[in-house]
Amino acid sequence: MQHCWEDWRALWHARALLWVMTRRELSSRYAGSAAGVMWAYLQPMLLVGAYFLVFDVVFSMRMGDNAPTTRLGTYLVVGSLPWLVFCESLSRGASSLVEAGSLLQKNALPPVLFVARSVLAGWVVFVPLMVLLTLGYLPLSGFGWALLAVPLLLLLQGVLALLLAYLLAILAAAVRDTLQVLGFFLSVGIYLSPVLFPMSLFPPAWRWLLFANPMTALVLSYQSVLLQGAWPELSLWAVTLGWLLLLAWLLDGLVKRSRDELVDWL
Amino acid sequence: MSQAVLQVQGLGKCYRLYDSPRSRLLTLLGWSNRSLPHWALQDVSFALQAGQCLGVIGDNGAGKSTLLKLLAGTLRPSHGQLHRVGRVTAILELGAGFHPDFTGRENLMFGGSFIGLPQGEILRLSDEIIAFSELGEAIDRPVKTYSSGMAVRLAFALVTAVQPELLIIDEALSVGDQHFQKKCVQRIETFRQQGCTILFCSHSLYHVRQLCDRVLWLDHGRVRGLGDTESVLAGYGTHVRLQDLTQASHDPAIQPTQSAIPDNPNIQAWVADGRRAGLLDVHVSGLASDTGSDSDLMLTGSDLVIQVRAVSVSDETPSVGVMLEQFHGVGVTSVATHADGAHLTVLACQDGWTSWQVTLSFPDFPLHSGQYSLSFYLFDAKGLVVYDEWKDFIQFRWVSPSLTPGLVRLPHLWS
Repeated sequence: MQHCWEDWRALWHARALLWVMTRRELSSRYAGSAAGVMWAYLQPMLLVGAYFLVFDVVFSMRMGDNAPTTRLGTYLVVGSLPWLVFCESLSRGASSLVEAGSLLQKNALPPVLFVARSVLAGWVVFVPLMVLLTLGYLPLSGFGWALLAVPLLLLLQGVLALLLAYLLAILAAAVRDTLQVLGFFLSVGIYLSPVLFPMSLFPPAWRWLLFANPMTALVLSYQSVLLQGAWPELSLWAVTLGWLLLLAWLLDGLVKRSRDELVDWL
Repeated sequence: MSQAVLQVQGLGKCYRLYDSPRSRLLTLLGWSNRSLPHWALQDVSFALQAGQCLGVIGDNGAGKSTLLKLLAGTLRPSHGQLHRVGRVTAILELGAGFHPDFTGRENLMFGGSFIGLPQGEILRLSDEIIAFSELGEAIDRPVKTYSSGMAVRLAFALVTAVQPELLIIDEALSVGDQHFQKKCVQRIETFRQQGCTILFCSHSLYHVRQLCDRVLWLDHGRVRGLGDTESVLAGYGTHVRLQDLTQASHDPAIQPTQSAIPDNPNIQAWVADGRRAGLLDVHVSGLASDTGSDSDLMLTGSDLVIQVRAVSVSDETPSVGVMLEQFHGVGVTSVATHADGAHLTVLACQDGWTSWQVTLSFPDFPLHSGQYSLSFYLFDAKGLVVYDEWKDFIQFRWVSPSLTPGLVRLPHLWS
């Protein structure tokens, strides 16, 4: 883990720059628009609003038995918001190194900075939205100890996205095809998760397959806290931690082999 | 008293060349290693003391840019040690980090944090930076409306806003209009006077000569020469002309005449040829070679003394001519005994042939550093008939004690 640790230290050392870069990343996405950075928050909020409106107000769709909640819109929102941010972090993070190529070749900056910037920009939008969502779901979850799991889950999701995005960004630097493959997996991944359908709808023999999606355990945890007010099961924490360790181990190998020539590939 | 600002020990950079992205992926995953190593830089060592200015020269692809990127920290060395002290500013490619949709001022804030200036510091410096860049009102317009010259001006003003301990410049002086270029050179010169260490890479030997105390000559990724400016530049100049010569020799039209440099003449053969006179040998005193080969002779003394011997049929008094040229270049001067009214001395008479000798001196050799070539001619007494011609017989290098640029030191007076 020595190489990951070095990168982590580089990030910490450049944290002031990282923050400047993150803010600039956000404002550059919406440069030229009247609402500016507000769009980063407006878009997911509009989506959440649309889910409620369509599924809970207009169609009043109800979920089946064994589901964590009864109304479909309410259920969808809890999983899709984290999933949305996760997808955005990965796709932006994975292409961040390739896009920053000319900057990296001219400035003495650690490459990980650009990945972290992309992930952090998504996370900075995500955290306030999740806080709002948590407040909005208080009637469902109740005001209990389980709410303390939310900040932990947010942190875990941030680290997960950073590790995976960095891994993909290095792969994308080596072979650009990575970005195409990633696009496919991100659009299919939502069906391989309990975002749209509750776990109970999947055939028991195939449920393990869902955990091939690193977000599955986190989505289940969010649902558990926000919909039922229950502290996420220990096994969910274990799966997420397992993913983190696996990714960190893989990443360490990639960083070790690519460190000296990463910038040459961009 | 002076301390090393930059210390480089055995620095090397190896690019691995992959035949396809697929083999790059396989190597990255550690499943195979199908790459060809390409050493862009190998075993480079030097140290720069505070206040020194080092010029880096070399042909295209010699590894100059790689070295500069390694020193600036954008590339990681494959080998060797690199030790830098204090703030390092690299002017590698100006304006690369600007975002076209943001104004010049916003880009200033952001670009400043890239080169390690905290926001407060840039706010403090921004008036000075904008004044130097001469952008005026345009500073609050988006950078995409700028001309390339304006963006470069802003970038230069930004990166040089704070005096670094080590300044790395890659051909940056050739940007902007002449007025701004002059300002850039002046600012760099000011840095230098204030003790900033500079590493300067350029194809402009003139600028290198003007700015640098020492020069590093890279050739195919290795150090070919490192030392004071004039001696390294002289060697590099020769190298460039030699290259031109090799290229020219591929062109059949300008092939050098092989008969120009004959072996010691055989008098019997001359008789058969019906020749009346010929050069016997030439000796230039004070020529020494580092490697022992004749290809890199160097004039060590301050005088150029040439001794020429010739033979002629006894009833003829020949005349000797010597031409001094820049190597494969411009003729500098030619002198001849008949023109100067000088006479050859008789060494011996034998079998109807007479051998002659004459010595030519250029005291206090009045040329600037460079590679020179000597040609020898043997004429009849009046200088009308050419009996013998040894074209470009001796080439030598000369390092002038004077550091000012030029070709020849003319007699001059200041008043």
